[in-house]
Amino acid sequence: MHPLLLPGTLASLEVGKHLYWHLGNLKIHGQVFITSWVVIGILLVAALLGTRNPQRIPKGWQNFMEYVLEFLRQLVRGQLGEKEYRAWLPFVGTLFLFIFACNWSGILVPWKLIELPEGELAASTNDINTTAALALLTSLAYFYAGLSRKGLGYFSGYLYPTPIMLPFKIIEDFTKPLSLSFRLFGNILADELVVGVLVLLVPLFVPLPLMILGLFLSAIQALIFATLATTYIAEALEDHGHEEAHN
Amino acid sequence: MTPWLFLAAAEAVEAEGGLFDLDATLPLMALQFLLLMVVLNALLYKPLLQVLDERDAYVRGNLSRAKEAQTQADAAASQYEESLIQARRASQQQLAAVLETTQKEASNRLAAAQQQVQAQLDSARQDLERQKQAALEQLAQQVGTLSDSILHKLLGSL
Repeated sequence: MHPLLLPGTLASLEVGKHLYWHLGNLKIHGQVFITSWVVIGILLVAALLGTRNPQRIPKGWQNFMEYVLEFLRQLVRGQLGEKEYRAWLPFVGTLFLFIFACNWSGILVPWKLIELPEGELAASTNDINTTAALALLTSLAYFYAGLSRKGLGYFSGYLYPTPIMLPFKIIEDFTKPLSLSFRLFGNILADELVVGVLVLLVPLFVPLPLMILGLFLSAIQALIFATLATTYIAEALEDHGHEEAHN
Repeated sequence: MTPWLFLAAAEAVEAEGGLFDLDATLPLMALQFLLLMVVLNALLYKPLLQVLDERDAYVRGNLSRAKEAQTQADAAASQYEESLIQARRASQQQLAAVLETTQKEASNRLAAAQQQVQAQLDSARQDLERQKQAALEQLAQQVGTLSDSILHKLLGSL
């Protein structure tokens, strides 16, 4: 497809174009990896700065990273409880940090100034591959949580509270990753498209409020993804055995 | 503008690439994410959680020590208060005892003095009575001689 080009403007809009890298006979989207590496680098630097010289009385970066960590801990502990949260904090915390950093990098980092031979740099989360990968990992995570907790008895929870729920619960296992991936992908892509279109029409000032809204939306999307992942894991860990315990 | 975009998206799906172009990016991204998770766990979550736990323990230890010190201080204060009350009570008792003995002594002395005074008064009164008696007797004796002398004078001139 061709980039959307309005005559007389420099801005252009590219949708669905990718910078293909070839690994053997596999094709991967180079622009997604480039931006994700930058994001991962930022996260790692922030983590290193935060824990380089840990003090009892936190200062500077350590303080900030502790604030972030406590926010994540609260998010996970609120749903998984004091006993379980520690095991799942790395997964959910990394989900939130990675998605949040990706989303904000798409808005705050002027990727578009870097020319690629094909496609363009943007938030990694505006590629369905990234969001699907994260959503599938979430599915694996909650299956792992349920199976490691209850063994194959986890699937008996599908009959709870009534066996009528069985088909719906099975469908849910497919809709959960679908909705997770498409929600994030759609929101981030839509936001970038809206800003892109507005920039095409009015290059100055007018897109700014929408970009600020985009910052807000991106943060919310990261929070939603992490919260839903935690909820799914909590659901899988939940005990349905109350009735059996009574008998 | 929007129809164009939709058209573009639809077109993109047919051609190479497109919006929903799933390929090896997906598993590689998943792998990369898991790697990031492991690294962040080692770099960020573990050390910082340890710091938080240590600080928690430190604060809790200090708090419990402070509480202990406070209970000790409270106990000392109440003990002090009690001894103060006891001392006050003892001093009041002493004061009362001293007051009683002095009062008793004073009243004893007063009674003794009154007795003495009464005795002196009585003896003085007896003395007076005796003197009066003697004077009266003397007077009675003198009445005889005086009346004799008066009689002599009156009869003698006759």
